Amino acid sequence: MTPVRRLLTYLNPPSRSAYFFVAPSILLLLAFNLTPLIASFGLSLSSASMTLDRISFVGLEQFVRILSDARFLNSLKVTAILTLLEVPLQAFGAMVIGAMVANNSFWNKTLRAVYFLPIICSATVIGIMWRMILHSNVGFVTYALSLMGLGKINFLNSAQTTIFVVSFLSLWRSFGVSAIIYVTAVQQVNPSLYEAAQLDGAGRIRQFLNVTAPSIRPTFWFILMTRFAGSLQIFDIIYVTTGGGPNFTTESTVAYVYARAFASGGDMGYASAMSMVLFAFIMLVTVLLYRRMIRED
Amino acid sequence: MILSIHSTLRKAITWALVAALLLSCCGGAFASAGAEEPITIKFWNSFTGADGDQLVELVDRFNQSNAYGITVEMDISSSFSDQLTSALAAGTGPALVLMSNAMRYQFDGYLQDVSDVFAKTGLDQADFIQSYLDYCKDGEAMYLVPFQIVGFYLFWNKDLFTAAGLDPEKAPATWAEYETFAAKLTDASKNVYGSGLCYNYAYQLAHVIQRFGGLAVTQQDGKWQANLAGNAGYAKFLTSFKKMLDEGTNPLEADTDPMMTAGQIAMTVSGPWITGGLDTAGINYGIALLPQDDAGVMNSVEVLGFGVPTVATDAEKQAAYRFIQWWNTEDAQGSSPALEWALKNGFPAYTYSVQAKESYQSSEKLRITSSADPKAPTNFFVDSRFPDTGSMLMDVLAPMVQSIVFDNTDVNAALEAAQKTADGIVAGFNQ
Repeated sequence: MTPVRRLLTYLNPPSRSAYFFVAPSILLLLAFNLTPLIASFGLSLSSASMTLDRISFVGLEQFVRILSDARFLNSLKVTAILTLLEVPLQAFGAMVIGAMVANNSFWNKTLRAVYFLPIICSATVIGIMWRMILHSNVGFVTYALSLMGLGKINFLNSAQTTIFVVSFLSLWRSFGVSAIIYVTAVQQVNPSLYEAAQLDGAGRIRQFLNVTAPSIRPTFWFILMTRFAGSLQIFDIIYVTTGGGPNFTTESTVAYVYARAFASGGDMGYASAMSMVLFAFIMLVTVLLYRRMIRED
Repeated sequence: MILSIHSTLRKAITWALVAALLLSCCGGAFASAGAEEPITIKFWNSFTGADGDQLVELVDRFNQSNAYGITVEMDISSSFSDQLTSALAAGTGPALVLMSNAMRYQFDGYLQDVSDVFAKTGLDQADFIQSYLDYCKDGEAMYLVPFQIVGFYLFWNKDLFTAAGLDPEKAPATWAEYETFAAKLTDASKNVYGSGLCYNYAYQLAHVIQRFGGLAVTQQDGKWQANLAGNAGYAKFLTSFKKMLDEGTNPLEADTDPMMTAGQIAMTVSGPWITGGLDTAGINYGIALLPQDDAGVMNSVEVLGFGVPTVATDAEKQAAYRFIQWWNTEDAQGSSPALEWALKNGFPAYTYSVQAKESYQSSEKLRITSSADPKAPTNFFVDSRFPDTGSMLMDVLAPMVQSIVFDNTDVNAALEAAQKTADGIVAGFNQ
């Protein structure tokens, strides 16, 4: 038997060949996720310039620095607000919409495509488009609202309201993905459950509450988990619409990490330390939600 | 016989010496075109806009026409900085880059000294405006060869001036006059604002505020020093800006260029890139140098230049020099890529010879943007040798202005807070 033949025979049982099939994914994860993560942790214990040519070990100094950095604490607050505004609306709103457009009629398919459209647009395009639409002086929405007697609303330059606009844009952009996932989940619900509910006299709302929602609970927890993780990392929409302003009221943690690492100073050690704190928090939330999702499943 | 050999030898030596002399007199240390090996060099930059298309066209022309077998492979990327950072950290990267002088400090130690570019290409150093060259220097070393001069200028809408009863041909000469004009030009009923300064546009505000209070960081006895707390000029500008916002003569906006294009702003401070939109919209506008104030005469511009990263080999550096030489050399018709670039994009030229061209002088835009005193110091917000302009703009100036605008922080308290942040930044470079 040739060595190749011997190797193939050895790998033939499913318990062994499985490793062979997952190897590419594991290698990619190692190269693009785990390695940067370990490198980032290493950097967080150092003082490092942008091009990493001047690195010195500083222990936990960067983490101590974080505690007294008002801008970092503000960025955590902004991230928390944005997440709490977006995620529940997304998880519940997309569920309702997903259930409404689950049937494969022409109009439902069209609507699904419309919901999905923002996903295929780049964040830059979306940012520029909305900046123009919501411009307080030359924007279409502002103009339309002023015609309705609502006055000139400064959507993107208000320390009080701009965060809601950013939250809306983030929601608008990723809503389609959640809705499509819900559609798939709703389509998997056993039709006999709806028939039984109809025989019991349940209307559409009752069917949704008593049949659809309980049947797609794992999907709900999956959406919640992925959206939490996504929302806690919000960056691109902020970068292209408000740049974190006005007065840092929309500067998320990732936006601040970017600013420290690349926009000014090039303080990679400190930026990495902030990233590690955010990573730990996202990890905690994800693990909790994942365990819940597994239980529901 | 012996005499004949000696005579032949003497002739040969004489000719060899003459040839060597001729070669060295050709103004460059480069060998003749035929002696250079064909080479491909990478050229990275971030010119993603319409100007990028022109750059592609010019690079293609160089590739097709140069006699040295040089191929320039250009990569234009909006994430140029991140890309270059990763590449240089990994010990790879391009042989030629385009970056601003402020940005070059991010890559401190990764750019080669290019001060020998004149000796090696025959380009006339005296033709380059000295203050721009000084801006790219650190002591005797020069890290960028000027490519584009990015300044901010005063743009005004002549029709709105006429409507407000002001002379449409006369821009405000002082900032006090600017404020007075702004009040006269504002017409709330037509949604027209006199002034179009943006509260978060640090680059725009920096150009203006330094006219009032000078540079934010200077060097004293070999130590960097931040000059914010107690800076009367800065306080004067901040008070004036807040007043214009409160009185509604300047909108609370992060982006006023679309308003200028829509005819809703009478005066703004911007760069040549705004002219494309103004021309397309048919706005009747004027351009002037920014008015000076208490800080005296200055020419605050940012110089973008060609840089050669340390990863480039000698042969690649030589090829990069050839490209720079070609960029600045006139053809038989008296044109050069540098001239074409200025005419097309509206950025002022950095050489006297290009500025003197008839086609250049016939452009009012270029004539005005080039009219700054060439001897005036070229510093943008901080002393040009200070390595971290970016932090001073984004972490000091922008938060300071926004705290006054949104939190109603007292101007002097905001300057004190900014001083504290700036001291932290400056201290890092004094160690």
